[in-house]
Parts: sequence; C-alpha cells; structure tokens
Amino acid sequence: MRRSHILLLLLVAGIAGTFIATFTTATRSVGFAEAAGAPGTEFKISGTLVREEPVLYAPEVDPSTTRFTMRDKTGGLCKVVLAKAKPTGLENSESIDLYGTMRGDEFHASEMLMKCPSKYNEQNHVLLEDGTAEAPR
Amino acid sequence: MEYLGEWTAVAWAGRALIALGFGSALIATAAFLRKDERLGKWAFAVHGVSIFSSIALIFLLFASHRYEFNYIWKHLSDAMPMRFILSAFWGGQEGGFLLWMFWHIVLAAFVLRKPSVWTAPVMAVLSGIEAFLTSMLLGVYFGDFQLGLDPFILLRELPENLGLPWTQRADYLSAFPLFADGQGLNPLLQNYWMTIHPPTLFLGFAAVSLPFAFAVAGMQHRSDRSWIRPALRWSVFAMGTLGTGILMGGAWAYEALSFGGFWAWDPVENSSLVPWLVTVAGAHLLVINRQKQVPTGLFSTVYFPILAFLLVLYSTFLTKSGILGDTSVHSFVDSGILPQLLAYVLTFTTLGHVMLVASVRVRWIFAGLATVAVAAMVKGWAAEGMWGLFAVWTGAAVFAYRRDFRGSDAEDALWSRDFWMFVGSLLLLLSAIHITWQTSIPVFNKLLAPFSSGFQALGEATGSDTLRALARHDLAPGTDFEMTYHRVQVPLAVLIMLLVGMTQWLRFKSTPDPSKIFKRLGIHAAIAAGVTGLFLISETVAWWEAPRVALLFAAVFAAVASVDYLRAIGRAGWATWGSPVAHLGFALVIFGAVFSTSRKDVISKNVIGDLTTLSEELNNREDLLMLQGDTLPLGPYFASYRDKVTEGIHVRFQVDYFERVPKTYSKGDVVFYEGMVFEAREAHTASENFEADMERFWSFMPFPNERQASAAVRWESGAPGPFLFTLEPRIQLNEQMGNAPEPDTRHGIFQDLYTHIKWGRVTPPETDAEGWMGGASDVVVPGDSILAGKILLVLDSLRPIRDEERPERGLLDRDVALVACFTLKDRARTGKAEPLYIVRDSLLIPDLYEPEGWGVRMRVDAFDPATEAVTLSLWEHESVRRDFIVMQAVVFPQINVLWLGCMLMAIGTGLAVAGRWKRERPRA
Repeated sequence: MRRSHILLLLLVAGIAGTFIATFTTATRSVGFAEAAGAPGTEFKISGTLVREEPVLYAPEVDPSTTRFTMRDKTGGLCKVVLAKAKPTGLENSESIDLYGTMRGDEFHASEMLMKCPSKYNEQNHVLLEDGTAEAPR
Repeated sequence: MEYLGEWTAVAWAGRALIALGFGSALIATAAFLRKDERLGKWAFAVHGVSIFSSIALIFLLFASHRYEFNYIWKHLSDAMPMRFILSAFWGGQEGGFLLWMFWHIVLAAFVLRKPSVWTAPVMAVLSGIEAFLTSMLLGVYFGDFQLGLDPFILLRELPENLGLPWTQRADYLSAFPLFADGQGLNPLLQNYWMTIHPPTLFLGFAAVSLPFAFAVAGMQHRSDRSWIRPALRWSVFAMGTLGTGILMGGAWAYEALSFGGFWAWDPVENSSLVPWLVTVAGAHLLVINRQKQVPTGLFSTVYFPILAFLLVLYSTFLTKSGILGDTSVHSFVDSGILPQLLAYVLTFTTLGHVMLVASVRVRWIFAGLATVAVAAMVKGWAAEGMWGLFAVWTGAAVFAYRRDFRGSDAEDALWSRDFWMFVGSLLLLLSAIHITWQTSIPVFNKLLAPFSSGFQALGEATGSDTLRALARHDLAPGTDFEMTYHRVQVPLAVLIMLLVGMTQWLRFKSTPDPSKIFKRLGIHAAIAAGVTGLFLISETVAWWEAPRVALLFAAVFAAVASVDYLRAIGRAGWATWGSPVAHLGFALVIFGAVFSTSRKDVISKNVIGDLTTLSEELNNREDLLMLQGDTLPLGPYFASYRDKVTEGIHVRFQVDYFERVPKTYSKGDVVFYEGMVFEAREAHTASENFEADMERFWSFMPFPNERQASAAVRWESGAPGPFLFTLEPRIQLNEQMGNAPEPDTRHGIFQDLYTHIKWGRVTPPETDAEGWMGGASDVVVPGDSILAGKILLVLDSLRPIRDEERPERGLLDRDVALVACFTLKDRARTGKAEPLYIVRDSLLIPDLYEPEGWGVRMRVDAFDPATEAVTLSLWEHESVRRDFIVMQAVVFPQINVLWLGCMLMAIGTGLAVAGRWKRERPRA
C-alpha cells in the first residue's frame, strides 16, 4: 500500500478514535429523579436555584461546603451539597449546571457552572413605564 | 414625533453608511468575479470608507456620551475612565463585528497593493466575506425576522421598549434619570487586557481568511500554483497573530480572573485554538509545496487553509449564536442572529468544498444538492438538513480527491522533511478534531434528535449503554474536564513534540545520510532523558502520570533539538532564525503548561477526614479560612489577614506573608493532629504539612495514657519568621454581574504564588446604636447547632422551669416557662446559655437573654411542642465579631517557562514573516 494510503487510514482511525473517546466519557444530562435511581454514578444536572430556600455557607465551620436547593429541568427539587466555597453570584444566577453524584437524598456536586445574567443580554434591564429600570430577577 | 436632544441625524447617517457598505461589498464581489478589477477596487474602497466612517461615528457617540443610543447606553457610563473607550467599543457584538471588518479591510489593502493574477479571485472572496459580515449589522426588520443587529439603534426603538409610555414623551431624555447615565462597561472588562486581546484575536481571525481566499482562487486556476507563496505568507502571519491573541487570553485569565489558571478548555477558548491548530498544520503543508514542481499531498495543502477559515466561522457560530447557551452555562450571546450566522457558516463551507471539484458542472450539481438540504432546514427539518449537508460536503471532497487530485501526487522519501511535516500536520488536525468533538457536544445533541428511535432500538438490541445514551441525546461533557481533554491531547502532543524536534533536522526531498542526523538526535534525546530523570527524582510522580512525563520528555527534546538547530544554521542570517525560535517557544509553552498545571500545589488545602485509615472519605478542601489577625501556616509560608481597604469599586484584602521557620521534633514527642494523638518515632524537621511526615515519622496512638494525653501539644509545621511580602487579592464590586474576585499573584523566577478570595465581606455589617447586629431567626430542635459569628450554640435539651428558678428570672407563679439549654462553644472556651420561652395569660413574653461575656443575645420567639422545635433570634455584638476571609492559594512552579515560550513563539513567527518578506522582495 502506498504510504499516503496508510496515513489516510490512520487518520480516519484517529478521527473515529477521538470521537469514541469523547462520547464514552460524556456524562448524561438528567434530572434529580434519574440521578437518584443510580446513586454513585456521575451525572450532570441543569437547573435553577430555588431562591425561596436559603443558601447555607458557613465558612467558620467549613469554608469549602455550600448547601442550597435546586430545581431541575423537570421541576424536581433537591438539596445540593457543593464541595466548594460559595461561588460569587450564585443568587443572581440564571441557571446552574452541576456535576456530581446522588448520595442519599442529597446531590453531592464536585463541580458547578453558573450562567450569570449575560453581559450581552439585550434585556438585561427592564425599562419600566416611568422610565426607571428594574434588574431582571 | 420630534424628540428633544436626540442625535437622530447620526443614527440615520450610521445606518446609511452600513447599508452603503453592504451594497458596495456586494458590487465589489460581483465585479471581482467578473474580473473587473477597476470597478471592484472602487467598490471596495467605498465599502472601506463606509465602514471606517461608521466606526468613527460610534466613537463620536461614545466620546459625546449619547445615551439615547442603545449601544452607548449599555457600554458606557459617566464614571468610566475614558482610557477604556476602546474596550467599550468592542464590548458588544456590534463592535466586535465592526472590529473584524476593520481588520479585513486593512488586510485587503495589503492584498491590493501587490497586483497579481490572484488579485481578482482573492478580492472576490474577501468582498463576499465582507458582505456577509456587513449584513450582520444591517438591523433591518422583515416583520418579525431581524436581519442583523443595529449598532445605531436608539433605546426607544428597541422592540421591547416600543409603545411603552415613556417613549411617547418628547422630553424623555431629560425627564428620566435613567437616561442621564449609561450602564457602563462591565467592570470585569475595564482593564488593559480588554484593550489589547480582542483586536489581536480578531486580526488573527481576519488573517485566516486570506489563505482560504488564495486556496479557493487557486482552485479556480489549477494550472498555476503560484498562489501557494502568498497563501503561505498570510498563513504564517495568521499563525503569529492568532496565536498571540489566544495566549493573551490565557494571560488575562491568569492575571485577572479567578478560576485558578490560564486555560479552562472552555468553548470560547477551544473555538479559537482549533482554527489556530489547523492554520499551523496548513502553513506547514504550504511550506512543503512551496517550491515543488510536482506537488505532494496537494489535496491536504488546499484543504487545510480552507478548513481553518471554516473553523473560524464555526467558532463564531458557536460562541455568538447562543446555541451552546441552553446546554452550557458559559454566558453566550443570544442576540437573535443565529440564522444569519448559520447561513454564513453553511454558505462558505459549501463554497469551500464545492470549489475543490475541478469541473464547473459538477460544482453546480453539488451546490444544488446543498441548496436542497438548506431548504429542508428552513422547512423545519434542521437536523436532517444538516446531515444532508455533511453528505454533500464529504461527497464533494471525496469526489474531488479521487478525480482531480490523485494523479498529480508524487511521494516523498521516507526520511524527508516533507513526509514528516505532513504527518505532523495530520496529528495537529487530529488534535483539533478532538477538541471540536468535545466542544460540539451540545450541537450533536441537536443533530442526534431525529435518530433517537434508531439508537434506542440498537441500544436495546445490543444492550449498549453508549447507544442508549446517544438515543437520549442529552449528553454533556465529562465531569472531569481536564481529564477528558488530556487523555487524548497529551499523547498527541507527545508525538507532535517528537516530530518538532526530529523534522527540523531532516532535509527537504530527502536526507542524504539519516544516520548522522539520528546520532545527533540521540544526543538531544539523552539530554531530555537527563532532565526528565531529574524531574522524576525531585518530585513525587504517580504511575498514572506517565503520559505527562512522556510529554515533558518530548517537550525538552524538541527544545534542545531546536536550539541546536538554531546554532547550526544561525550563521545564514536572521531571516532563518524564525522557525527554530518559534519551535523552541512552542516546546517551552508545552513544557511550562504541563509542568505548572500538573505540579501546581494548592497550599491552602486543608484535610478533613479520618487520617488513620487514609480512606476514600478524605476530602481535600481547597480553601483556607483566615480570621483577621490570626497567623496561619500556608505551605512554605505563614500568612496573616491584616485588613481590608475599599477603593472605588475595589475591595482589597491585605494578606501578609512570613517565612516559615520549621519546627524540630525529637524522638518521643507527642502531638495532637485533627483530634488524634501521635508520637514521633525519630527526630526530624517538620515539613509544610502533617500528611507528608505522617508515615515516616509519626506513630498513631489510639489509646494514649493520662501522661501522654496531657503532654500532647498541637502539631505545628513551624513558626512565622521574618516578614516577606504582602499580597492583596481583591473583590471587584460589580452590580451587573455579581462581585468578581481578582487574584493577586507574587511572581517569582521559579514559581508563582497565586492567591484569590473565595469569600470576603465587602460591606460592613449593619449594627444598631449599641453595636448589636444580626437578629436573624433559626428554627432548631434539641441536637441542632447554630453559628453566631465564631460561637457555636448547641441546643442540648428543653425542660420546664423549676420553681426555685422562678424568682431570679423574674417570673410570676402563673407563668408557664420552658428553659432552652444551650451550650456555647468557641475556640477557647465552653459555656452555657438558658433563654426562656415564657407564656403569661396566654401571651408570649419576650425574654432577651444575654449570657455573660459572650457578646451574643438570644430570644426564644416560638416553640412547637409537637416537634420540640424552638425558633430563636440571635444578635452578635460587633466587638466580638472578627472579620474573616476565605482564600485559596496555589503555587505554580516554572510557569515562567510558559510565558517565555509565548514570547519566543511570537518573536519567532515575526522573524519568519519578516524573513520571508525579505527573501521574496525583488532585489534592487
């Protein structure tokens, strides 16, 4: 076989290999109920902060644990224990992505990404009738 | 209606200029396609002037603080220092597009300066690109459909504001305070990085379009391969500018953002890195074919520059359309131009692939098929249409490869630069593709949707979890981001680094005596092995870090080989130095990045868990709580949080660092650590943390006797010595985005100490006239504990009041009272508190209870007999409350190697561009 054919074959194998590597390590984006069904398995859960429940961060006791309640995309609520200091802007976040596992009736998250009010969002402020502005909830 | 104080004339002028820019770009495209260079140049000149004028108008609006304009209002405020005006200009999408177009026009001017047979087709492509970009700013509405953003739109013209009462007032500008000032640029962007990073990055993006244009032009006139030289020049230029732009982004993240590093594999970062990798690969392929009579690997040489530009468009699509926004929390824009961005990507991808085919007729067939697929997408079959397009593009590429490229290829000798550079380019492509897969997972979710049932059936038939997961199309990137990328990127990088070292020493066409070269490379490898050996000896390396160690070896090998090569050829003049210097820089970047991130030491880590078993439950907490005034051990230092200072929008936390004077322990010493007792087996000097010494020097004593327990002192790593330096990590007060922490880093030659605040109080707590603050309520049952400042209150039990206690508590005989027995604990002492819940004549009598000397006040507000739940309000006195911060500190060793590498890469590429220009200038 010509060398260039060998290379082409290797390239295609490489592309397939990286594709497989990507998709076998991908986590699934699920709701709390499903995560509860497979405790110990890592999932990603997207949702929003339940603002009616308190965000508990007591740095004097443990600077690296934050607790709050989150609502997932299906509407399910769950207590979340995040192994990090309270991220700035948590209360203002538009949406939250958690990575972690369900333990008992709490979701233990090792990683969290937040979507803050987008700096490019045209509707960042709602201009009210009298000309004053209200920040988005 | 005539509104007072509006500069509507500027709005109309601006919109007219953009429309003119759009029209003239279209005319230029048509003219250049018809080879009418004269008309084309004039039209393009008109386009250039229109866009430049629009930019000038926007600067005028910024300088004049015209807040009736939406773009100005959103990115400017009176308080913002004017030196950030550039940052404000490209702080939004509209400005970003204008900046991009600005660079395209500048680069096109350089193309026009050197007339050649390629001018017309290249300018046709560039004008077409400009037309698409200008259309992003037209701001025209067709009913509900928005064609482009409008940089000159007024606030009152925004769709969400139309019809609101205040828009009916002619004097709204002066009547409402809202319009007297703007929102201001996001404080996170008010720094010099925002001034230099976007223009460099956009210049890089603009530059990538030129090799694309030349490749497409070259496909139009296949008999003439002289397009390769200018394409190469522009490729190297793009490599340098885009690479510098990307590295600036990394430096910005490291200096000013607090995610603890310089690269996060974030979609925005990835989508700029991927086109860079392909541009580098393309540049190397162009070098191979620069002077060959009979080309080798011509298909790849043509395809890579095309692909690089298409990846720039894909990157734009990913980051500006908001398609990732739903599934990724990185703040992505959703400004409504997704359809346009998609049209932009799809049009040029189709063009690029179709042009690979030589036959004009077949081109039109493929173009037609593509149109059908697009029509399907418009009709609502988005995913199916996309798959159709993939099929069309692949089909065109394969067809062209087999029909139009195969015959012309010769083969390179095995031990030639040409062959191994080709292999290297393929490896770079693989790296880029892997990153693209990872970043595009959310896009895949959308594409997989129509095949759900198919995958589900297959998944059930085979029992494969992966197939079932594909069926649900709700995939997300793996939790451990770094690991999922490094798994593939590190081995690829090892191969690439080895090639960087070896291939520079091979000759073009063929190397006459390869064994001599290999002997030399053997010396380089030996040196690299030596360095790696040193590394293995001086650091503790886990077995699973083998790929990283291999990468360190390969990077050192590449660096040594590059330096030696520079030595060997350097006498030929500075024009030849560019390549080895750039390669050396790249090797150092890789070395510095791998070393500093893999060996980074989070010195603020404190361990919680059962040390005796070192079980899985051991949690490493990365953040340190620092009470004001306390001096705590922190890695190689002792640190103390001194005070905080508020300056404008910044709150600076002053942390002093002292040298650690290590403590010496003798054999038989008994210590406490995490509540457990240990005895020293031999004399030793304490290390920075107990865990490092534990196995070698300390024996766990599960049953210490009386004498040992009382003799035990707290384990210490040492004592604070002389003062070394102060660091001031800050929090930036940012109402828009939430307060943003900014790091302060101590830069040393061999390592950086990077510190940032995870939590800090930025506003003083509110107190009443006597200095009491708090007043929040908590509900507790016996066994629960609450925190008030530094004091822990535990509700032990509830009991009814005893008769003998009544008089001293001021109770009447008929009062019903419950005593809530609390234990109070702080670092130094334990005490008791017994507030009462009093009911007299069915009314609650509030009892404000203040235990002696604790500085807290408590009051029981309610009691639920069924659950034994007590509602307690708590106050603290400010005299007992100490301010504190939660801080994370990381030591990055050898990170300066990374920055040195960045500089060398920039210098090397600059030398290469200048050298090439010098060589190809007509000699006088």
